[in-house]
Amino acid sequence: MYASLVSNRYLTSRLIPVIAVAAVALCVALVITVVSVMSGFLDMLKASGRSIVGDVIVSSGIGGMPYSEELLTELRALPEVAGATPLIDTIGLLRMPYPAGPQKETAHVQVWAIDPASLSGVTDFADDLYWRAPKDAAAADAMAPDDPRRSLDPTILEDGKRLVQSSTKTPGIALGMHVSVGNARQRDGSYLPRYGWFMPGLEVTLTVVPVSGKGKIAEPREQIFPVVNEVQTGLFEVDRNRVYIPLAEGQRLLRLDEAPLYDLTADPDAAGNYPVIGRTPARVTKLLLRAKPGCSADALRDRVQAAYDAFADRVEADRMRTASMPRFVQVLTWEQQLRDLIIPVEKEREMMRVLFSLIYLVCAGLILSIFWAIVVEKTRDIGILRSVGASRTGILWIFLRYGLIIGTLGSALGVLLAWVIVTNVNPIHEAIGSDAPLAIRITAWSLAAACALGLCVTALRRKFLPTLLWMLGTIVLSAAALGLSLHHGTLIWDPSIYYFTLVPDKVDWWAAGTTAVGGVLFSVIGSAIPAAKAADIDPVEALRYG
Amino acid sequence: MADQPLLQACRVHKTYHFGAHGVEVLRGVDLAVHSGEWLAVLGSSGSGKSTLMHLLGGLDRPDAGKGEIRFRGDPISLQPGAALDAYRNRDIGFVFQFYHLLPELSVLENTLLPAFVRSARKRDRATLRREAEALLGAFGLDHRLSHRPSQLSGGERQRVAIARALINRPAVLLADEPTGNLDAATGAGILDLLAERHRQGLTVVMVTHDREVAARATRQIRLVNGMSDVVEES
Ligand SMILES: Nc1ncnc2c1ncn2[C@@H]1O[C@H](COP(=O)(O)OP(=O)(O)OP(=O)(O)O)[C@@H](O)[C@H]1O
Ligand SMILES: [Mg+2]
Repeated sequence: MYASLVSNRYLTSRLIPVIAVAAVALCVALVITVVSVMSGFLDMLKASGRSIVGDVIVSSGIGGMPYSEELLTELRALPEVAGATPLIDTIGLLRMPYPAGPQKETAHVQVWAIDPASLSGVTDFADDLYWRAPKDAAAADAMAPDDPRRSLDPTILEDGKRLVQSSTKTPGIALGMHVSVGNARQRDGSYLPRYGWFMPGLEVTLTVVPVSGKGKIAEPREQIFPVVNEVQTGLFEVDRNRVYIPLAEGQRLLRLDEAPLYDLTADPDAAGNYPVIGRTPARVTKLLLRAKPGCSADALRDRVQAAYDAFADRVEADRMRTASMPRFVQVLTWEQQLRDLIIPVEKEREMMRVLFSLIYLVCAGLILSIFWAIVVEKTRDIGILRSVGASRTGILWIFLRYGLIIGTLGSALGVLLAWVIVTNVNPIHEAIGSDAPLAIRITAWSLAAACALGLCVTALRRKFLPTLLWMLGTIVLSAAALGLSLHHGTLIWDPSIYYFTLVPDKVDWWAAGTTAVGGVLFSVIGSAIPAAKAADIDPVEALRYG
Repeated sequence: MADQPLLQACRVHKTYHFGAHGVEVLRGVDLAVHSGEWLAVLGSSGSGKSTLMHLLGGLDRPDAGKGEIRFRGDPISLQPGAALDAYRNRDIGFVFQFYHLLPELSVLENTLLPAFVRSARKRDRATLRREAEALLGAFGLDHRLSHRPSQLSGGERQRVAIARALINRPAVLLADEPTGNLDAATGAGILDLLAERHRQGLTVVMVTHDREVAARATRQIRLVNGMSDVVEES
């Protein structure tokens, strides 16, 4: 009873507990905010990798894998597989429609010949198509007045999803967002075509080089494609280099399509043709697979490897087949495939962990020392309490309760603060990025002027502390006002440079929970240790203090 | 056992250590306090009066193996624990020269503190409150109940400290220079209070420098050379 009385009085009759609550809250909020935003970035970076290649990639050599449709049907039947798609991956040259005049620019590109429908079930292809009509009038109003998306109609997205220009019924090409230099990224992360080079609808010429099974280069082949849409995966390397064409076009251009099989050992006929003895099946060079939720990429890889080997064995045993499956295929998880990309991310995460622990330790030390100072100051009180017969456990409980209440309050406020900051991180970031409104600048200057006035008045009255405080206020406010006036909006995370248009704004609740618990724990420890120390000495010793 | 002392110091030694060498402040003090007496302890500054009082009140302990403090004939525990806590709380009331009130608690709460330490039961609260109010009223502090110690004068603070020492109706009141920080008139007021309680049967041990103050006691002793001499008896 006396314990709660005393700790309640300690809590309510001084300013120190309020300062302690604020300190705990700020420490907790700092840790939660930093952890949430930083791990949000890392997660986004990592997830974007997975969203472009699926979970497992089967790649053959340049000669490709036949019977892919049969194999894919079997793979799709596996309980672990959520989706599977075939593609051909090669390199090519792309003649751009710009600049005006006969001399055009040419870019070297990575060509993905895809089956758009099944690819969308494995990667985020359909979602990554950039050009699409605004969802509704409100969405259109939110766009910049010169944003080309305002005037788009829904067919552009449909064309992109099928890689067909519906007006001419010709196969189309989708370009990575940064293949064309015409796309200028804006501050809000949207794109504005430079010099009017809005790519959809323009024609580009793609040149690829077929390679025979023996590794010989055949005559390069080229085809004109209308651009139907552009793709923004979020990974710069990909968006800078990759173009997408329909699978059938890729197979034809690269001579990987179904073809008659000639008997070269027989004599040619009068026209010089050898007799046809069958047909070779069409080929693809890669299969991408997505795992069902709950199935790990590694588990899926093992499963796919086994399924592939079994399929290859059956093809081999089948005498009716005209082709066999390549034996040396790579079956990799997306993490293995994108190692170059992911390893730095992982390293970054490790480094973040170290930094987080440092921040955590600093905050913990801060909280510990605040409580330590508060309780040491109460050593004499502890002597008094002991001299009227309070037990050591009673004393300990007073300060445990004190630390517990301040720690809990501070942690709760800290979590709340972090939640407010993190969920509003983008508006806050935007506000920092734009010029300070005139009203705020005027307010800051007037406050600084008011402080200067206060400084004059107190200086004339020859009061020392108020003069010092007013001086401090004047300096701080003038600096703030000056800063606001000179500051012309710098975005820390500038989306015209970085991929993710938004700063992650999800609170990492696990981190929030552990941090809040840590906040309470350190408050309690920080108050319990000096309290226990004071309760252990004879009351006379404690009374001597102060 | 009518002549058994209420509180007794038996050959107590107390040494303060400064690093390697120690200063033996008390060298085998023998002292008996009988029920109902008012004992004044005199002695020059630094003679160890406060030290002796702290030992008697269980706030400090004699050198290990060199003497003991007996209360009603039984040695008091020297180790921290429930027995020693109960001794400080119930059997002894201690008044310090420098009041030692909790600054965050009101006058009433400071007074009630030992009572709350003694009894955790909620239903006692109202009764205890009334007792404390009556006690403070008798000390002329009824209009000061909710004030903080910092708002009181020295004399008023000392009266609160005495009220706190008396709230649990202890057998002995130990007062270490209760008037040391007060002017003569205020000090006399405090002494009147003690005299009043003494008349009602309270045993008092009081340290003082002042012969006039000591004269109000029923017996005086003097600490000389770390031993106690009986100066005079009245
Ligand atoms: N905790 C301590 N550590 C070291 N020395 C101490 C300690 N407490 C007291 N002393 C020393 O013991 C001696 C006796 O101190 P004490 O306070 O008992 O004297 P006193 O008789 O009460 O003096 P005064 O009349 O000035 O109050 C003094 O010399 C003092 O310096
Ligand atoms: Mg003294």
